Amino acid sequence: MELFIQVLVSGLLLGGVYALLSVGLTLIFGVVRIINFAHGELMMMAMYLTYWLCQAHQIDPYLSVIIVAPALFLVGMGVQRFIIQPIFDSSALMKIFVTVGLFIALQNLALMLFKADFRTIQTSYAMSTLEVGGISISVPRLIAFCFALVLLGGLFMLLKLTLVGKAMRAVAENRVVAELMGIRVQRLYLITFGLGSAMTGIAGALLLPFTYVFPTVGAIYTLLAFVVVVLGGLGNMAGAFLGGLFIGLIESISGVYISPALKEAVYFVIFILTLLVRPQGLFGVGKGTEEVGLK
Amino acid sequence: MMRRMGLLVLVFGVLLMGGLTEVAMGQSLRIGALYPVSGSLALLGDESWRGAEIARVMRNQKGGVAGKQVEFVKVDIPDVNAAKSEAERLINREGLKLLTGTYSSSLCLAASEVAARSGIIYFEQGGIADMITGRGYKTLLRSCPRAQYFSRAQIRFARDFVAPKIGKKPNDVRVALVHEDSAYGSSISKNVEAEAKAGGVQLVSVIPYNKDAVDLSSVILKLKNDKPDVVIGVSYANDAILFGRQAKELRLDIKAFIGTGGGHSLTSFQQALGAAAEGVLNVDFTQFEVNVRFTPGLKEFVEMYRKMFNEPPRSGHSLANFTGTNILLDLLERTGGSMDAGKFRQTAAAFELKPGSTASGWGVKFDDSGQNILADTFIMQWRGGKLVTVYPEGPAVMAPLLETPFSK
Repeated sequence: MELFIQVLVSGLLLGGVYALLSVGLTLIFGVVRIINFAHGELMMMAMYLTYWLCQAHQIDPYLSVIIVAPALFLVGMGVQRFIIQPIFDSSALMKIFVTVGLFIALQNLALMLFKADFRTIQTSYAMSTLEVGGISISVPRLIAFCFALVLLGGLFMLLKLTLVGKAMRAVAENRVVAELMGIRVQRLYLITFGLGSAMTGIAGALLLPFTYVFPTVGAIYTLLAFVVVVLGGLGNMAGAFLGGLFIGLIESISGVYISPALKEAVYFVIFILTLLVRPQGLFGVGKGTEEVGLK
Repeated sequence: MMRRMGLLVLVFGVLLMGGLTEVAMGQSLRIGALYPVSGSLALLGDESWRGAEIARVMRNQKGGVAGKQVEFVKVDIPDVNAAKSEAERLINREGLKLLTGTYSSSLCLAASEVAARSGIIYFEQGGIADMITGRGYKTLLRSCPRAQYFSRAQIRFARDFVAPKIGKKPNDVRVALVHEDSAYGSSISKNVEAEAKAGGVQLVSVIPYNKDAVDLSSVILKLKNDKPDVVIGVSYANDAILFGRQAKELRLDIKAFIGTGGGHSLTSFQQALGAAAEGVLNVDFTQFEVNVRFTPGLKEFVEMYRKMFNEPPRSGHSLANFTGTNILLDLLERTGGSMDAGKFRQTAAAFELKPGSTASGWGVKFDDSGQNILADTFIMQWRGGKLVTVYPEGPAVMAPLLETPFSK
């Protein structure tokens, strides 16, 4: 029984990590409608930046968020302005190719700049744990989990309560009508892409204390984030969070009780089955909403 | 008519160029060196290549082989497709007669398949999968130990050293195996099962996982459930670190952890885990904290490494390839520089060195499958931040210490 609770706790903590890395993607996905295959690479950049701040300037990774987030905001805006915007009216396929190109370019640039070494940082709390009734909880993972909640809450408030948020939702719902109502769509896209990238940057900084960074790490996270986001329902913030927890739990339970080698197979089978039954994702509103909406 | 003339000129031109390069090539012995130096295998692939390169440079400084300078045609093979196509290119376009490499078993299997089809010698220095020499190819030679030698050493250690220390009979000691599930880990897993059976040791669980996983908590929890005394691990670089961190977080309580080369031998493993790495055992190719009387030439190798790359060696992979390349060049010296497959293989079969006479401490004796049966693996332990050879006694510099790993 104790083992089973530990399995659930570990699964939830892992799910928190997955949710964290998916929030930025689902925002960009929902508003800009870009299938951003370079998502993991943005995270990789953030992780290297955090690594560098920690190694060269002794800045704690949690503190470095205040540098990494704005930096990634600028990077995201740059990507939108100089890579996505010029081809915005071309086909969806073309945009996918462009982001795939960006992903390969960034990955190889990182290989050239940082070599293929795995890099980790040393902090006093990297392997510290809380013990509650025989169940151990990793402190940095718990922090990541809480941050995922805070980020989501913040984003939710932004979308519901501010003018920018309302504009974002309007653009997500219907770009042309939003433009007719006087919303400056291109500028909004810039902000959204920047915001999504900044969130991805925060995720990178928060993950570094308990994982590692290497030039090809992005591909793994991109795939995971897509599974989480599609499962949760595109553009659905709460869905991304719950989708993350869901995948984390499945991975943990199937890993212990079936086999760790099969955990990807298990969650992909569940992923496919879910989409067969509910194409809009677990938390999508109804048929047809797989294409629109931001909640 | 003009078109025909043009074609004729072109054909002559090609023939002439071919002839010219032939003459130019006569000055040196060209060997194809295939290593993954980009992609996810790049770190250890590059480390392996450095060792081979040092052996080549040192040999050239001493006058080369059979009076000629040795030249590597180095190619990057990040994946299996690249291994196959680059091997084809080296043989068909570059006209090379001898290939070497590869660090990764899957890459070696692909590249050596091409060499075998063309009747060209493939000299493997780092891939350990038993299948490499198990295919019956007469063109294949391997200088390094094969996978089974690793498992044999681990099971022996669990049975002959750990069992008496924890007050158990040899066949009562509980062993678990955790391995990454590519060709590297899977081949070792079969060997561990076979060796455990042969050694009369209980194998309580076998847990495969994907090396690119971002979380291994389920592996650790499964181990906690199965309660082994000794855990044998097969990992690459990043997953070894991840396992260590999560074993500590989840308080895995075991008597000994024995890695299988790869990730557990890297300095980056120790740096990432710090004190938690203390006491972790590893069976591997020869490392640098070893009895120097058993490894002649090791000191010179380390000095040269520092000179050429401005840092100390990052793992023993370079040393294995240094030793391998030296054996390769010794064989070439004896064939008078000839790379003819039949002659090379014959020379190799007749060549023998006693254990303790190369920089890795290995001997040399190639069996019918092309395997160097005197290549050996030793058990090492992280002690005070250094990976020290502890078992068996010949190459050991101190005695092994039993304490729960990943606990500090």
